[in-house]
Amino acid sequence: MSVSLARGIFDAFFASIKSLTKRRYTLRYPEQKLDLPDGYTYDPKTQVGSPGVKGRHILYLDKCTGCSLCAIACEGIADCIDMVKVDGTWPKDKKAIMPQIDYGRCVFCGFCVDACPFDCLFMTPEYELASTDKRKLVQTPFQLGTLPEKKGLVEFIPDEKSGAHHA
Amino acid sequence: MEVVERQGDYLTMSVGPQHPGSGHMRLIVTVDGDIIVKVKPDPGYVHRGAEKMCEVRTYIQNIPHLERPVIIDSCGILFAYVLAAEELIGVQPPPRAQYIRIIMAELNRIISHMYWLSIYGIFMGHSTMFMWPMGDRELFIDLAASIGGTRVTFSYFIPGGVRNDIPPGFKEKALKTFDYFVKRLKEYEKIYFNNPLVLKRTQGVGVFKREDAISLGVTGPNLRASGVASDTRKDEPYSMYDTIDFDIPTYREGDSYSRAWVRLEEMRESMKIIRQAIDKMEAGPVKQPMRGQIKGKVGEAFARTEAARGTMFYHIVSDGGKFPYRVKISVPSFRNLIAMSHLLEGNRLADMPVIYWGLDYWPVEADR
Repeated sequence: MSVSLARGIFDAFFASIKSLTKRRYTLRYPEQKLDLPDGYTYDPKTQVGSPGVKGRHILYLDKCTGCSLCAIACEGIADCIDMVKVDGTWPKDKKAIMPQIDYGRCVFCGFCVDACPFDCLFMTPEYELASTDKRKLVQTPFQLGTLPEKKGLVEFIPDEKSGAHHA
Repeated sequence: MEVVERQGDYLTMSVGPQHPGSGHMRLIVTVDGDIIVKVKPDPGYVHRGAEKMCEVRTYIQNIPHLERPVIIDSCGILFAYVLAAEELIGVQPPPRAQYIRIIMAELNRIISHMYWLSIYGIFMGHSTMFMWPMGDRELFIDLAASIGGTRVTFSYFIPGGVRNDIPPGFKEKALKTFDYFVKRLKEYEKIYFNNPLVLKRTQGVGVFKREDAISLGVTGPNLRASGVASDTRKDEPYSMYDTIDFDIPTYREGDSYSRAWVRLEEMRESMKIIRQAIDKMEAGPVKQPMRGQIKGKVGEAFARTEAARGTMFYHIVSDGGKFPYRVKISVPSFRNLIAMSHLLEGNRLADMPVIYWGLDYWPVEADR
């Protein structure tokens, strides 16, 4: 009994001491950031999406027709899309209304992307959307129309020896 | 802890309702010294009315809110819903979509069991066992996120298939992670499962006899730890599980220790299932296209699947409209709640965290 007890404790200690020599696979956020793949997109013809990160949306202002299908899709989910009036003249959008997204409510399910038949609402890998003011979480169509700048550079590579490493 | 009443030698107090590990729930415990005499679970603090919400939302709009009760096993709770909804809508998922569903459901099972294991470690004061599974869980979250797009709530299964194909290079990434994790599980065994201190805390604690487990209607890993080889994936194969070869880990003791082992072995089996599913998958469509408003035909449908915590059952009644008429969710956590008061009585108060979390009770899922 006491031999197995000593052996069990020794094994447990040895396993933890061995892990001291291992490289850690956490990142030094925010100095280091992950290089994420592209955002989620959807092809209305085949009705299949692309495997991508569901982050902040991107709205192609010149393609939007103001049909408000994205807002209807969101109604029962998060109710975070509002159609708002935008300045300027838009040849495709006579009423000049475009979606405005409240990121305080969005659940990032991407069903609004699936609802858009004009290839104009997609998602980007931008995930740093936190704000100290809840009014800043509401993004106007012009804010949604900008592509995010590439922030992350570190790549996450799975490794059969040490779990993962970064490059 | 708050004293509710004092009666002779007995002391009745309330444990919770502030988050005893996973969500808000309360246990009204009567103790005689250190021994628990009576336990009355008091669930319902996180009831959100998910079933009622289903009645005013379309079949697609129901998906994001239905996975909220168990976000760490979001594909497990959705699997039965999409199977039942498909029967009503009248769509058949292509074979490739069914294999991708299996991959996602098993990845979610691993993610959920890893979360469980880390909290089980910290409940016993074993901080290393909190850090290691939480760190390794990220590898599996990374795999699942490369398919689903988000970290936990993927909204990935929809009636008619899955929303997108798996990314190129997923197989190599997954196999590398599994090769690492199989070796890692041996280290888990050394530091935790064969650790004499853990054996002392869990062996013979909260023993659940085979007959009691069957008569109380407990499901999932808790039932399998009591010696009943019952698994919905084997008993009533759904999706493509009948083409896949895997074992059901079963233990006879029925104590907290064997409940931990069942979950550890299940992670190994899940990796075996995913390896086979990746190999068996053939190129093809991942979704059957649907045009126009999705409506269910008049009638009812039910589906039973094996989620991480046990048998997940959905019963959907449709009146032919775009909303389901009634959705009944029968969740495994609520069934396992019955076992809690049965197991805690007669044990020491210090063993309560081990028994409570050993059952893998998830209050939000039970209250739904």
